Amino acid sequence: MNYSTELVKGTLKTIILKLLVDNKKMYGYEITQKVKELTLDRIQITEGALYPTLHALEADKLVTTETEYIGKRIRKYYSLSPSGKAQAREKVKELASFMDTMIALLDIKPKLT
Amino acid sequence: MYFLNEQQIDFILGDINARGVRLESLQYDLLDHICVIIEQKLEKEEDFEPCYEATIKSFYRQELREIEDETRFLLARRNRLTLSRSQFFLLLFTIFIGPFVSYDLAWLVTSGPEAGWNIPLQVWAPTVVYSLFPLLILLVLLLTPERLDPLIPAKSKVLLGIRPFIKIIPRYSRVKLDR
Repeated sequence: MNYSTELVKGTLKTIILKLLVDNKKMYGYEITQKVKELTLDRIQITEGALYPTLHALEADKLVTTETEYIGKRIRKYYSLSPSGKAQAREKVKELASFMDTMIALLDIKPKLT
Repeated sequence: MYFLNEQQIDFILGDINARGVRLESLQYDLLDHICVIIEQKLEKEEDFEPCYEATIKSFYRQELREIEDETRFLLARRNRLTLSRSQFFLLLFTIFIGPFVSYDLAWLVTSGPEAGWNIPLQVWAPTVVYSLFPLLILLVLLLTPERLDPLIPAKSKVLLGIRPFIKIIPRYSRVKLDR
């Protein structure tokens, strides 16, 4: 089952920040593939959503970038700044709390597996 | 592992630019992303051009610059109040016409039924005279058709903040990014 765009869109910033916590530095394509792999293809981040969000995070100084030349082209690696790490913790905590609230609100019984 | 040659990389970068992506940093992000995908596909002996066309098309719904529009929108939106076009016009209406209407209502409430509920000419006339000009300006802004390049186009967003106080982001493509 693929999740609706609204759900993914609302959590994209949190997903990216958490991935960068776990993987130190990543480039755009790598992020999309990691999400696909971790979610068994159920969440596919589009380039059109990923890069605007990464650039906004960079402008907010939550991520920093470093570049590497791959032949003639440039690869930009994104990694978390100190404030980005704090924001990642906060965002994950907020999302976890939100999910608990939704489980209670919608009376969803958590699965054991 | 297949590697794109310099000509192919230049071609892709030129095409990204020609499709309206002007932010250099975004160009490099997209270039690398596209190159990685194509290099993987070309290992299975596909031709470069059809492979590139298929790949670039998967990046957007209508046009590639949707990604730049969204990036610019998110960057401009930081620390600003975002209003839809209709919310912005409601705000303008409230600021420019609201005081006149409020004055009339206040007059109505304070005068009471003994003075008659009809708003007399001395209240009505200034309302019509002074609010007419701003009302006409608002109507022109609101009703200018798209073909005449309106100041605030349909589906645009209006950002309120400091320097500039008002920033209009024309018809950006956030929905289209969903694919």
